[in-house]
Amino acid sequence: MDLLTADQFQQLLWGMRTTIILFAVSWVMAFALALVLVVVRATEYRLCRWFVDGFVAYHRNVPLLVQVMFWYFGMPELLPENVRFWLYDHNAEFSFAAIALALGSSAYVAEDIRSGLRAIPNTQFEAASSLGCSYLQSMRYIVVPQALRISLPPLVSRALLLFKNTSIAMAIGVAELTYRTREIENMTFKTFTVFGIATVLYLIGTFTLMAFGSWLENRTRLDRKAAAK
Amino acid sequence: MLKKVLLYAAVALPVAFSAFAAKADRLDEIKARGTLICGTLGTSEPFSFQDRDSRQLVGYDVDICKIVADSIGVEVEYKLLAVAARIPELDSGRVDVVAANLGWTPERAGQIDFSHRYYVTPQKLLVLANSDFENAEDLAQSRIGATKGSSSEALLKERFPEARVIGYADSPATFLSLQQRKVDAQFASELVLVRLMNQSPEGSPTRIIEESLFDEPWGLGVRKGETALLEAANAALDETETSGEAQQLFDKWFGADTPYDLTRSFTIGPIEGASN
Repeated sequence: MDLLTADQFQQLLWGMRTTIILFAVSWVMAFALALVLVVVRATEYRLCRWFVDGFVAYHRNVPLLVQVMFWYFGMPELLPENVRFWLYDHNAEFSFAAIALALGSSAYVAEDIRSGLRAIPNTQFEAASSLGCSYLQSMRYIVVPQALRISLPPLVSRALLLFKNTSIAMAIGVAELTYRTREIENMTFKTFTVFGIATVLYLIGTFTLMAFGSWLENRTRLDRKAAAK
Repeated sequence: MLKKVLLYAAVALPVAFSAFAAKADRLDEIKARGTLICGTLGTSEPFSFQDRDSRQLVGYDVDICKIVADSIGVEVEYKLLAVAARIPELDSGRVDVVAANLGWTPERAGQIDFSHRYYVTPQKLLVLANSDFENAEDLAQSRIGATKGSSSEALLKERFPEARVIGYADSPATFLSLQQRKVDAQFASELVLVRLMNQSPEGSPTRIIEESLFDEPWGLGVRKGETALLEAANAALDETETSGEAQQLFDKWFGADTPYDLTRSFTIGPIEGASN
């Protein structure tokens, strides 16, 4: 088995760095957007529900690669020329990839949270209103925290998926881990070595996420103290 | 549980890597078998692609394989490969030779053996016709799009360290980026660029910058250490040069009667800098 040079290994690490940043940025955006979607979806207004349903349907049914391509090749054409060229000069590849990944994941995250939400009995809502909470207050303080706890396991697997899906950004030239891997493979033909190392790097990332997920699950478990006794 | 999985992985990976230990003389094996298994891409016109009418695999690479097989005195069998699978297939012994856009570089030559060059592709830059770029040097600080998997991408970075090289999935995507002015130039082999230039939309024509940045020699790939097979391939290739068949073959796929209209700027022979 041939080893990579220090320089090539460093390039892989740079790719890993881009992968992690891309994942973190898209995950935070996806999560924030998903929370908004869930709250809007839970309102009484039919128009809001249709909008969210449409958003979720689009992002769950169109392949992620197509979404990334759309954001990179399609969307900028709608912008004024000077904005467009400013973006191209400032790493537009990364930004559009992050937006596309975030929107794509937000639909799934929203569905995961919503299933958590539906597990909360309506009586909780009624109890909150009887105590004088507004709709947003009862959502913010009573319902969403419980729903998030229930949604945690599916959210962790969603995060794992997003972490791996960042490799799709390669198609528009974001130099993340898979991009670097293919680049070095192509340069050196050390196929097994370089894909092997990349696999290990991805595993380190996903195992870390899984460990963080378990820690969070333990920490937020309601019967934690009871279990400790 | 997790520990067990990790343990298995730790044991299984190195075993998998070392599974393709060298076997004794491949050439004898080919002769005994009566077929030469040749890996080609199948998606790379005019090197290896499906003919629209006959549905047969045809192309320059395909013909080269046939010539090598004829010279050894066996039948040829084609196996279609994805770009990323070229080297693993060769290493694992599922193909005997690979004729699949294998550009020679010293680094790659450390992994597989290259035959004599049978094709040389100048790597050039394509720009929008109305842009100000005249020479390659004008693009030294620009954004340059390239196709992921083209071997000269690294060389381009070396030549223009201040340029930003962006690798896209394929040449149509790179071309679209050029059209949308996401990149200032597209870097690819002359052949690809000629085709794209001819297909440019009327509203935004493109032109090729004359200067060739690199000339990339292509060879057949043979598994490292298969000296007899490599020599047989080289002998077959050299023979086409002396017999004039090489010129005919070039004209058939790239000459005046083709959309490329290229003249041959190389001869078949040892690759400069290579040890063979």
